[in-house]
Amino acid sequence: MGIGYAAIAMKAGFTPLQTISMSFLVYAGAGQIIAASMALSGATAIAIILTNFVVNLRYFVMSTCVLNQVEESNFGLNVLAAHVTVDESFAMFSLSKDSSIWIYLGIAITAWLSWCLGAGIGVVLLDILPVIVTNSFNISLYALFVAILVPAVKDSKQIAALVLVTAVLNIILSQFLGNWALIVSTLIGAGIGMYIVDDEYFLSGDA
Amino acid sequence: MDYITLVILGCAVVTFIPRLIPVLFIDKLDFPQKAEKFLNLIPYTALAALICPGVLTVDNQLWYIGLIGAVVAAGLAWKKVPLGAIVILTVVVLITVYSIIPFF
Repeated sequence: MGIGYAAIAMKAGFTPLQTISMSFLVYAGAGQIIAASMALSGATAIAIILTNFVVNLRYFVMSTCVLNQVEESNFGLNVLAAHVTVDESFAMFSLSKDSSIWIYLGIAITAWLSWCLGAGIGVVLLDILPVIVTNSFNISLYALFVAILVPAVKDSKQIAALVLVTAVLNIILSQFLGNWALIVSTLIGAGIGMYIVDDEYFLSGDA
Repeated sequence: MDYITLVILGCAVVTFIPRLIPVLFIDKLDFPQKAEKFLNLIPYTALAALICPGVLTVDNQLWYIGLIGAVVAAGLAWKKVPLGAIVILTVVVLITVYSIIPFF
């Protein structure tokens, strides 16, 4: 994924420093790839920035969840935690039994730096690696998502049903809402989950 | 300031704002148990929505590439293979698939 982003950014005319800086400063997987693809197709800076705002608005929900869960934190650590909140760090932390801020920062900063490192590796390796290999790296993020979901799906039929419903809902909404579909499906799905998933599943500490 | 620098800084600011707002107002938000259940369900629904249908566009020309990858990753996760190994093995399987496609 980091390599995939680097490939598009370099094609759009980003320098190696700009490619890596964006990963460090923006740190948004899908958002960066969308921004780089838009730059490649010649979109205006305003259009790119507004699209990024919309695509990354979901981090508001994730950041709220993370800050609601962390313990023994302070303002400075919270600001750092907010910046390194992305889909993966948020999902892993939500499923983690330990709520210490240090556990979260450990997970999230590792993911952040590997994302930057991925962009760096991408910048260096793109000329060397065959297309087959760079294409294959596109799957890595999805492999991670699937790997995180499967244990919960295996554990609870209700979670499995919820995942299926949300997936179908998002496939349908994607046709109409574009990049907004993700956040809308996520929220509607969680709303449906309020009714189809037992409270005990969360109170037992499995969630 | 050149166009790309402007894009990077603009995206950095608009991406940080939604992340920062909860930091500034979290003390004023008191979550009842129902809201907590709702928030706890979000990772599952977010991951489901991230995977479907996005995984089918991993390769813009060949939709089944992403499907193969997802099935391989799910199978490995079912067998309790560690996360890092799942990612690496899935990438390796796709490299293999790409290598044999030209023979069909």
